[in-house]
Parts: sequence; structure tokens; C-alpha cells
Amino acid sequence: MTRVLTTRGDAAPRSSASAGTTGDAPRSSPIVPLVAALLVAGTLIYIKTADLDAIETRSLAIGELLVRLAEHVQLVAVSTVVVVALGVPLGILLSRQAAGPLQAPVLAVANAGQAIPSIGILVLLALLYDVGFAMAVVSLVVYALLPVLRNTMVGLRQVDRSIIDAARGMGMGSRRILFTVELPLAVPVMLAGIRIALILNVGVATLATYTNAGGLGDLIERGIVFYRMPILLSGCLLTIALALLVDWLAGVAESRLRPRGL
Amino acid sequence: MSEQSTPGTGTRSDVMISLRDVSKRYSGADAEAVRPLSIDIERGEFLVLVGPSGCGKTTTLRMINRLVEPSGGEIWVDGKNATRVDADELRRHIGYVIQQVGLLPHMTIGENVGLVPKLLGWGKDRIRQRVTELLDLVGLDPDTYRSRYPKQLSGGQQQRVGVARALAADPPVMLMDEPFGAIDPITRGHLQDEFLKLQARIRKTIVFVTHDIDEALRLGDRIAIFDENARLAQLATPLEILTNPADDFVRSFIGDGAALRRLALLRVGDLPAVPGVGIRDGVEVEPDETVSAVLEKVLAAGSDSAVVRGRGSLTVQDMLLATAVRDESAVAT
Amino acid sequence: MSFFDYVSANSEIIGFLLLQHLQVVLLAVGFATAISLGVAIGTERLPRVRAALLATSGTILTIPSFALFGLLIPVFGLGVAPTVLALTVYAIFPILRNTVTALETVDGAVIDAATGMGMGSGRRLRIVRLPLAWPVILNGIRVATIMVVAIAAIGAAVRGPGLGELIFRGLSRIGGANALNEALSGVVAIVVVALLLDVLFLLIGKLTTPRGLHV
Repeated sequence: MTRVLTTRGDAAPRSSASAGTTGDAPRSSPIVPLVAALLVAGTLIYIKTADLDAIETRSLAIGELLVRLAEHVQLVAVSTVVVVALGVPLGILLSRQAAGPLQAPVLAVANAGQAIPSIGILVLLALLYDVGFAMAVVSLVVYALLPVLRNTMVGLRQVDRSIIDAARGMGMGSRRILFTVELPLAVPVMLAGIRIALILNVGVATLATYTNAGGLGDLIERGIVFYRMPILLSGCLLTIALALLVDWLAGVAESRLRPRGL
Repeated sequence: MSEQSTPGTGTRSDVMISLRDVSKRYSGADAEAVRPLSIDIERGEFLVLVGPSGCGKTTTLRMINRLVEPSGGEIWVDGKNATRVDADELRRHIGYVIQQVGLLPHMTIGENVGLVPKLLGWGKDRIRQRVTELLDLVGLDPDTYRSRYPKQLSGGQQQRVGVARALAADPPVMLMDEPFGAIDPITRGHLQDEFLKLQARIRKTIVFVTHDIDEALRLGDRIAIFDENARLAQLATPLEILTNPADDFVRSFIGDGAALRRLALLRVGDLPAVPGVGIRDGVEVEPDETVSAVLEKVLAAGSDSAVVRGRGSLTVQDMLLATAVRDESAVAT
Repeated sequence: MSFFDYVSANSEIIGFLLLQHLQVVLLAVGFATAISLGVAIGTERLPRVRAALLATSGTILTIPSFALFGLLIPVFGLGVAPTVLALTVYAIFPILRNTVTALETVDGAVIDAATGMGMGSGRRLRIVRLPLAWPVILNGIRVATIMVVAIAAIGAAVRGPGLGELIFRGLSRIGGANALNEALSGVVAIVVVALLLDVLFLLIGKLTTPRGLHV
């Protein structure tokens, strides 16, 4: 699963940092969670009423579904926390003047990194080291680190120089300027990057099943392998519902956390 | 013009553009952007619409080629009701020049100038010939500039191309919306001079919008001054406006120095010269030179009088007083 | 067996899959471009419809590709059809967004001048707006292409064509002799495809951007 992180020379370089920000004003519209809820409800009703065989019944038991969901959420939560904990400080460090010469190459690598397929990272790490939850988290982190790192750097860099000048002029030190001026002004772009990372993690985590790390992708894979449409469809619909819900929540959080006045 | 036969409008064969109770109200706005306005513009006349921002001058201009549709009234252009004909067809026969020029950046200068003729279906050779002619006319060497792109030209050069483009299909009417507004003052002065000379040759009917009263005084045969409430405060010749401002608004809009500015509009040939006196030591000038230009020459030469060819001589004092006398006589009438 | 030995020994199959990958991607991007241009131009006077479609295509992008591929199986079966369809759906947003933005941000003075000289809306679109918007539209197509090259790898999970097959085959032989080489060749080939297309699009951009825009 790959997404437009952001692009060189794009039509709207800043807003494109979040693939979904341009042109979708009704972002916090209740339609998206409603659709998600309908998907879940529809899937559950279908499971309850459909005529399922043994494999299907076992795979689609409520307890089984909850386990898969929990695995998925854990993968996403852990990797997103790690990504933010690594990406934001690293982005700040790289945007300091001393790191000037490193910026361009790091951004270039971050951009080129989009070309690597997520399944590739997952499989290569599994083949090189190990399968399972921990390695899956490492893959997710490697993949989702780029947008956070990149947006932190871009967000800090696009802060109006004259505002920083003014802050310096009133006697603020560089650390103070970072925390009272630069970071607050960079928050919208940084949040957009974190949101992208979150969505990427939800997507890549569906593939974690291939390296024995579970998640909702398990259902999809089992559906394909056994060619059982009920399992396949339930897996797909629940995954889509989760993705929509997570993105919607992220959008709500994004608009809440954005400093007022921006 | 022969088709124009609406009764009761005082049809005159030399009227090129006729605004008849034209008004514009944007939906949702309280006040009218343009209040019912009636102006007849004669063939070959240079009319300047001037006023502060929001006075409706640009809206008025844009209603003539229907970039803005009037809410009321009629506009007749060249004997046709412009509000009834096909808008695109109308526009192809009206030159249009805007402040930002709006040259198509992906086309060469030649292609830009030849665009309207192309829309009108002219042949290739005829377009090429016309482009050459027009670039010459606006003072750009056709061989040098034809194949350049707009970005390679300075602002002043771009606006020359803008004027050439507007003239391309030889339209009888030109609409100009602050064409020299974005150009540095020195170049602007040159362009204004050149444009006046050009207009003396081509005699287009021009409606010209500006917020700069000096530009209006310099260029216009007549000037329509609007106030910020879109009221037409005065419609008169530049001299008349300087001499007899209709009200306080016009007076304040003209600003200080009306008397001195009048010197730039009066021609020495119009002043009563004393025949034969002081011929020896005066600076020789032509009757169509402005009083201010002659004063400048006289003072620069360290002289105190001028000899107007075929008229007689004028002292510096004559020139200054003569304008004052005209002032009083004008007030009296 | 070293990676390079593996690649040279299997160059035929890798080349075949690479071409397949390229075909699927270009097909999907071609469809997406046609759809995006159609939608962008068709909704010029319907700003609400346009905003809704843009928002929808943006939201679709948040759907995990594995789930979308899977969702299409019951309807289209396994293989090429669901792969191309899913990739098309993903490619729409970047292209549509750039097309809409580009058409909306063409210099107003240029459009005013074009209208003033008597161009109708069709001519304005064809002669003025599309040529001026083209570089940005093309960039959207480029971004969509690079993105879709990577997503196409997951198509192999639904027996779709392309280089993803090498990755999944490598995975299925986990612990085997050439498992890593096989997966790695798939990943590297995909990155190569992406870089090639990136360069290709920059080249196309250079060649098709109207000269007057970059003098």
C-alpha cells in the first residue's frame, strides 16, 4: 500500500503534504464514519445470516474477528508511536542550520523511498531477519517514517523568515524560537505527515499477514487461498471500515490540534 | 451607423458608442455598482473614465464588450445593440487592453497579435503581413520580436504588444483598462506620448479607464469623473474640468495645482499674442505647443518671451495671465 | 548464488514481468487520466459535484490496496482485471486534483484577455487553459504513475500480473536457497521501473511544456 506522500513541484506543494486536504472541505463530515459503521454492521449481519461452511464459520467467529482487529490496531498503534517518536525529533534536528547540507539528500531519499513497494520491505525484512509482530512493526516504521520526517522538515522550513527575524529581534534565543514560533507554525504540515503515516500503517498492516503478524489481512489472505468469498469479503469490508474510521478520526484530531489562527 | 433608428434618442450619425441608462447591480449587493448612466461617445473620440476604486469605471468599461452583462439599459456600438448580438462576435470587433496585458504565455508575440485575425478566419499570409504592420506601428521591430515569447519582454514592451493585439483586426473601438497602470512612471510617460501620436493617426474610438487624474487629463478628449458611490460627478473636457470643477468631489480629486496643470493643456496658439513685438529676442515656438512646454523652453533659454510662429510674441507674464483671464471668463459663462 | 548471478540467470522472466508491470501501470494511468480530465472538464460548472468527486477519490486513496484488490475478486475474479481496475481507481486522485487546481489557477488576466478578444469557453479551454495547465496536469500523472508502480506489486496477491510475483514467490520459498534473491530482484526491478518512468515523465514534460512557459 502506497500513497501520495507529497510531490516535487506539485500544484499545491503544501496542502499536498496530506493527500486528502485539497478540495475536500467536508472532511469532518459524518458521512465517512457512517459509511464505516454501515460496512461493519452489514458485514456482521451477513456473517450471522449467511449459510457458512466449517472453514468460514471458524474464520468469521466474533472472537476470531476481534483478535484480528486487535492485532491490526496494535500493529498500527505501536508503529505510529515509534514513527512519531523517531520522525519528529529527527526532522527537527535535520532542519537545524548545522544539518543544512544533509537536508537535500534526506529529502531526495524520502521522495525516492515512495518507489519501494511496501510489500517489498515487509518481505525482504522477513527473509533477512524474521517473521512476526516485531519485524512487521519494523517494516511499518521504515515505510511510514518518510512522510513524518519529510513533513517535519518541510513544515519547519516553510515558516515565514520574517516572523523568525521578528522573534530574534525581540531577543528570543534559537531554542525559544523553535518552541514558541517555529514548531507551532509547522504543526499543520507535521500533523498532515503524521496522518499520512497513520493511514500508511493501516494499509501496510493488512499485508503483515504474509509475515505471520496477523491483522485483518489474515481474513483477506485466507479468503483468497481457500477461495471463500464470505471470508474474503468480510476481511475486505472490515479493513476498509477501519481505514475510513482511522482516517476520519485523524482528520478530526488534525483540525482540533491545529493551532488556532492558522 | 445607418441601422440605428431607435426613436427619441437623438440619433447622431457620428455617435460610435451609446450608453443608455446602463446600470449594473451585482446579486446580493445593496448598492448599484454602476448607476443608470447615459453617455454618447463620438467616432474617434478618446473618452477617459476616471475615479477612485469601486466607482464602477471598470464595470462600465467591461459592459461595453459584455464581459459584464448590464442589469439595465442598452449599449449601442457602431449602430448595433451590443446587448443583443453574440458576445464573442462583438468582442472580436472591439479591441481590449488590460493592465496585466494577459498575453498568452505559451504563444509567441506574433501568434498573440495574430490571434483575433485567426479567430476571424483570415488567411496565413494576411495575418503575417498584419502582424508585421502592427509591430511596426507600436515600435517593436517585427523581425526581432515576432518569434519571442511574452516572458522575454519587459512590461512596457508587453503592453505595446497588448495594444498591437487589440488593434489586430482593425476594430473601430478600443477598450483600455488601466493599460499603463503597472508600468514604471518613466516608461508610462513614453507610452502615453506614443499612444497619443498613434491615436492621432488611427483615430479609434477609445474608452480608457484609469484612477490617475493626470493620465486622464493628458490623454482624454473628454473625461468622465465618478465618485466612490458610482455617481457621475462630471463629464467634460480636461480644460473644462480643471477650470470649472463641478463640485467638491471633483475639486478634491483633481488635487492641488489645477492652475499650473492647465498650462499643460492650453496651446500657445490659443492665447492672444501681440503681433510683431519682441520678435528678435523671443524663443521660437509652434502654435500647437502647450503653454507649459513653451514656458519651460523660454525659462531654459534665459529669455522672457516666446515667438509663436505666425502669431506674434508672448511674454512669460502674458502666458501666465492669459490662463488666469481664461479662467475668469470661463467662470463667468 | 549472488544477487547478480541470480538476476542474469533469470533475466528472461524478470524482463517479462517487468514489461507486464509496465503495461498494467500505463494502462491504469491512461484510464485514470482520461477519467480525470473528463471529470475535471465536465464539472466546471458544477463546483459541488466536483468537490464531492475530488473528496471521494481522496478518501478512496485511504483504503488499503490489499482490501480493494480483494473486494474486486468476487466481481472480476483473479488476475488482470481487478489489478488494472484498482490501480485506475488509485491513480485518479493525484491526476484529478492537479487538473482541477491547474485549470482553476490559470492566470485570470490571460483568461480575461482571451474572453475579451472573443474566445468562447470551448476555445478558451482548448487554446488557453489546457496548454497552460498541462505541466501541472502532467506532474499529477507522473505522481500517480510512481505511486501505482508500487501498488501494482500487491496485485500479485490476487494473481495479478507484474513484478510483485517475484516478491510473493520469494516469500513462499522462505528459507529456500534463492528466496531472498528472488524477492530482492522484484523490489529492485520495481524501483527501476519507477525511476525510469519518473525520468520519462520529466522528459515528456520538457518536450511538451509550451516553450513560452520556460523561456
